[in-house]
Amino acid sequence: MMANQSSEIEPKLLPGDLAIWFFIFMELLVFGIFFIVYAVMRLQNVELFNQYQLTLNRELGVANTLLLISSSYFVVRAIHSIRLNEVQCCIHWLYAALAGGAGFLILKSLEYSDKFEAGIGLGTNTFYMFYLSLTMFHFLHVILGMLILFAIVIKAKRGAYSADNHIGIETGASYWHMVDLVWIILFPLVYIIR
Amino acid sequence: MKSAINIHLIWALMMLLTLGSYFIGESGSGGVVVMLFLLSTAVVKSVLIIRDFMELRGVSFLWRAIMYGWLIIVSLSIAIIYIISIYTHGA
Repeated sequence: MMANQSSEIEPKLLPGDLAIWFFIFMELLVFGIFFIVYAVMRLQNVELFNQYQLTLNRELGVANTLLLISSSYFVVRAIHSIRLNEVQCCIHWLYAALAGGAGFLILKSLEYSDKFEAGIGLGTNTFYMFYLSLTMFHFLHVILGMLILFAIVIKAKRGAYSADNHIGIETGASYWHMVDLVWIILFPLVYIIR
Repeated sequence: MKSAINIHLIWALMMLLTLGSYFIGESGSGGVVVMLFLLSTAVVKSVLIIRDFMELRGVSFLWRAIMYGWLIIVSLSIAIIYIISIYTHGA
């Protein structure tokens, strides 16, 4: 009875490999510092930041937010599927998540293309320097997250995962959710809040 | 089954919060209240991701403290700096 009680209150283990969580904490630390530095720099250039924030494409920004949130949701569905030993279903959800990531990259590339055609670059002003460096840094994380998800799909197709063994999928999923989490803060900070 | 339904609702809620933030941003409204509302919306979505998507609900306090601590420090810092900017620049 006592043993049962103690096992009931025992905390769950972190999903996935512990090492990915240290990586996630480091990434969040870097992005967190970046966000606070952005806010501090804005404090010294409020008019400039407010003026050029209006030049950003908020429609693409919100579409990208919806894509990343949905992509994260698809990854959750993939995890639920593999826990039920539905490997094919898990693979389909992972493909859906990858499609969400690809959609994000396409829309972001369109956004960058508009800015570059207008002659805007890192040296244009402080706002654009932060906008480009923050979003491009995040863009690279989306690519890395997609590579991880793609590697998981390949392993899943080879039968590497099952209801009893899916730590690899949880590891990739945790990283992908971190990419989403960062964008959830980045999008309102850079595109909307003034 | 219940948790699967919850996940659908959480996804739908996050989509609605995102659209809500966008339309408030588009309305051109400013000021402390709007800024805090938009930031709070982002914080709520972040909590849902950490708790339900990353599945940190029920893991040891240390891990949750790191994740929520990060969120609190970042969002509070942004809120304080933006409040200062609104009161010093009127923007």
